[in-house]
Amino acid sequence: MTKVLVPTVCPYCGAGCGFFISVEKERATGIEYMPDHPVSEGALCSKGNAALEVLCHQERFTSPLKRKGEGWARISWEEAIDLVAKGLGDAIKKNGPGSIAFLASSKCSNEENYLIEKLARLLGSPHVDNCARLCHAPSVVGLNRTLGAAGMTNPIPDIASSKCVFIIGSNLAENHPVISRWIHRAKDEGAVVIAADPRVTHTSWMADVFLQLKPGTDVALLNGMAHVIIKEGLVDRDYIAQRTRGFEELKESVGDYTPEKVAEITGVPAGDIVRAARAYAISPASSILYSMGITQHTTGTDNVQAVSDLALICGHLGKPGTGVMPLRGQNNVQGACDMGALAEFYPGYKKADDSETIRYFSSAWRTEGLPLGPGLTATQMIDAAGTGDIKGMYVVGEDPANSDPCSHNVHSALDNLDFLVVQDIFMTATAQLADVVLPGAVWAEKEGSYTNTERRVQWSCRAIDPPGAALSDLEIVCKVARSLGLDFYYPDAASVLAEINRTVPQYAGITRERLERDGLVWPCPTVDHPGTPILHSSGFKLAEGRACIVHVPYRPAAEVASWDYPFILTTGRVAVHHNAGSMTRRSPSLISREPDLYVEINTADAARLKVADGDEVTITTPRGETEAYARLTDKVKRGVVFMPFHFPGTNILTTDITDPEARIPEFKVAACKISRRD
Amino acid sequence: MPVYIDISRCIGCRSCEVACQRVHGGSGHVNVHFVGDSASVPILCHHCEEASCTMACFSGALYKDGDKTVFDVEKCTGCGLCRLACPFGVVWTDKIAHKCDLCEGLAEVPTCVTTCPANALSTDFDLASRRARARAARVAAQGGRR
Repeated sequence: MTKVLVPTVCPYCGAGCGFFISVEKERATGIEYMPDHPVSEGALCSKGNAALEVLCHQERFTSPLKRKGEGWARISWEEAIDLVAKGLGDAIKKNGPGSIAFLASSKCSNEENYLIEKLARLLGSPHVDNCARLCHAPSVVGLNRTLGAAGMTNPIPDIASSKCVFIIGSNLAENHPVISRWIHRAKDEGAVVIAADPRVTHTSWMADVFLQLKPGTDVALLNGMAHVIIKEGLVDRDYIAQRTRGFEELKESVGDYTPEKVAEITGVPAGDIVRAARAYAISPASSILYSMGITQHTTGTDNVQAVSDLALICGHLGKPGTGVMPLRGQNNVQGACDMGALAEFYPGYKKADDSETIRYFSSAWRTEGLPLGPGLTATQMIDAAGTGDIKGMYVVGEDPANSDPCSHNVHSALDNLDFLVVQDIFMTATAQLADVVLPGAVWAEKEGSYTNTERRVQWSCRAIDPPGAALSDLEIVCKVARSLGLDFYYPDAASVLAEINRTVPQYAGITRERLERDGLVWPCPTVDHPGTPILHSSGFKLAEGRACIVHVPYRPAAEVASWDYPFILTTGRVAVHHNAGSMTRRSPSLISREPDLYVEINTADAARLKVADGDEVTITTPRGETEAYARLTDKVKRGVVFMPFHFPGTNILTTDITDPEARIPEFKVAACKISRRD
Repeated sequence: MPVYIDISRCIGCRSCEVACQRVHGGSGHVNVHFVGDSASVPILCHHCEEASCTMACFSGALYKDGDKTVFDVEKCTGCGLCRLACPFGVVWTDKIAHKCDLCEGLAEVPTCVTTCPANALSTDFDLASRRARARAARVAAQGGRR
């Protein structure tokens, strides 16, 4: 019996760990670790270890489906593609191409995302987006403005050479577990670790200084730190003078943010703010790691800008051990954004509202009439579906009915569509609302490149065939495009990557032949370029090569605790689940470890509510109510409660008020009330 | 040669649990216990020098082989005395006994050690204290914590 080891990239978080799938007789029989992988060094978290459980799952789609009364009928590919062509085609004919919208997938490969956004734009619709909108849209907007590039500035292994690691709004110990090993390595070399989070977490366990701030007060904390750094003269004057603009305005605007005032706003003791600020500024190389705790706010873009201000005034950029590191949540959310599956960008972050972009892609794609953007964002599409402005949607590998805020509204909006086609691997809440379901493939059933959070592009190989009649998402998108009269003849992912090499300058040198083992880190402009692990080492891609320090005043979150809704609900992830949970909730070894939705309540609050550990409680916000088990803990402060968002109940509660620029909803702050169910 | 744990590094992600279960046909031999609000510790067979489980095992299924406590499935009667004898609760009996076998015959290094994202597990007795000594030396050389 011959056993073949096929190298793949983990389908869960953005760390991009590699592992081998052992294949015997065309069946995946096990996982083998990859000790020479540059990021994971053979390690895998619980989700990675359980990945094969999804691969061979009995609930996988094995044929296209169409809605039949209350149920579903299995149909042939020909019929399914005809229905999709008719559904989308009719909407375009009747209401114009602007009436259809596309959600690309941060679970799919670069090639697939490139084709989905190309399909949307060739059909004339500017409305294509992906769920980066719900995680790092503020990083795209904020970092592009301040630093001129939206990616993580330094690679993950580089964290080990940092002398101060500042983690804010990220529970990376649970969400990107392998990054912990690099932080521990930095600690071994004497680094100070600072963690800021509304909750005590496994990440704060690693920290020397822990700042437990109130949800939504990040700007105040960061401004307070900047205040201390400027007041004590710990700024890098040469760096500010040579590489930045806007320092004087920042200096003036943070003048009021004394540690005492910030302590009042954030709930963090003034002494800790000073300690953290000094540790970050004094160290020869400091890095900032952040995640959804920074971005999922109505002030998300402000938060991101405040983070990069801190790095800029201390000159902690462009060198080993420094940097601003937005940790991406999904295996290819970075790639989906790079490929232009975003409302405001064509591939390679070419602005969609720039006529030069349209000229460039008209000639690259040999077409006319490409839509000028920006299109509707993922969150706006749902609103537009509700009002009837969007008539048809093509959703690939996303589950907005579960992952978007205020999910009752999302359900009725999707219900309001004339035509909804969902391409996925499981019957998600969104697929249940579809007219046609197309069975896609998971990572191991197809090949393609994926870009992890540190911009490392890696090739993942096909290990086995998709189940039943399911096809790779690339094949499906090509079929749909051809049925709509487009010239989509791509035999494999490599041929799409070859086109990406021609049209996306950052990927120009990242050819299939070069993507062996360690991958390549973009920007990689030519085929003999080694890749660029550290950004901004010789200036910024902004006017005069200078970064922009953007001063941001603190604004409170959209919702505050009130008499009727006295608690602040904040949401997040746990180690054994991933995002909307459509994969991990079906994975026996993961769901058995965290089977139910729970809510963390401070023990003192629980006593007042007469709630005991394990009691069933009802959590209510103006949007709706949800039931969960109470988990009594001092991880959260009084007045704050926490729920993981891997279960359908959580996003019934969250608010759909968004950041005015990045359009990300404020998942992290919602006023709620709690009562025991009797 | 048991698996040693650096508690300061454990992040409670439970990947050792899932990995152990994966390579042992569904029954894992390590459990992560959560202590307080943020600490956690994986608990697994210590391969004791004087192993109570081997003394309780009248059929000779559990016995010492050098510094390992090993298990011969053919001899196990499923009586459960080993489970009662183990002072750490890391021998289980589901019809027959099962406990950490250090992945003998499955992997060169125990699976939990390789998979641990935080490098909290190792087979090196001295590693955690070497790390601590190096940290202390560095801090002393710098003239104290910043």
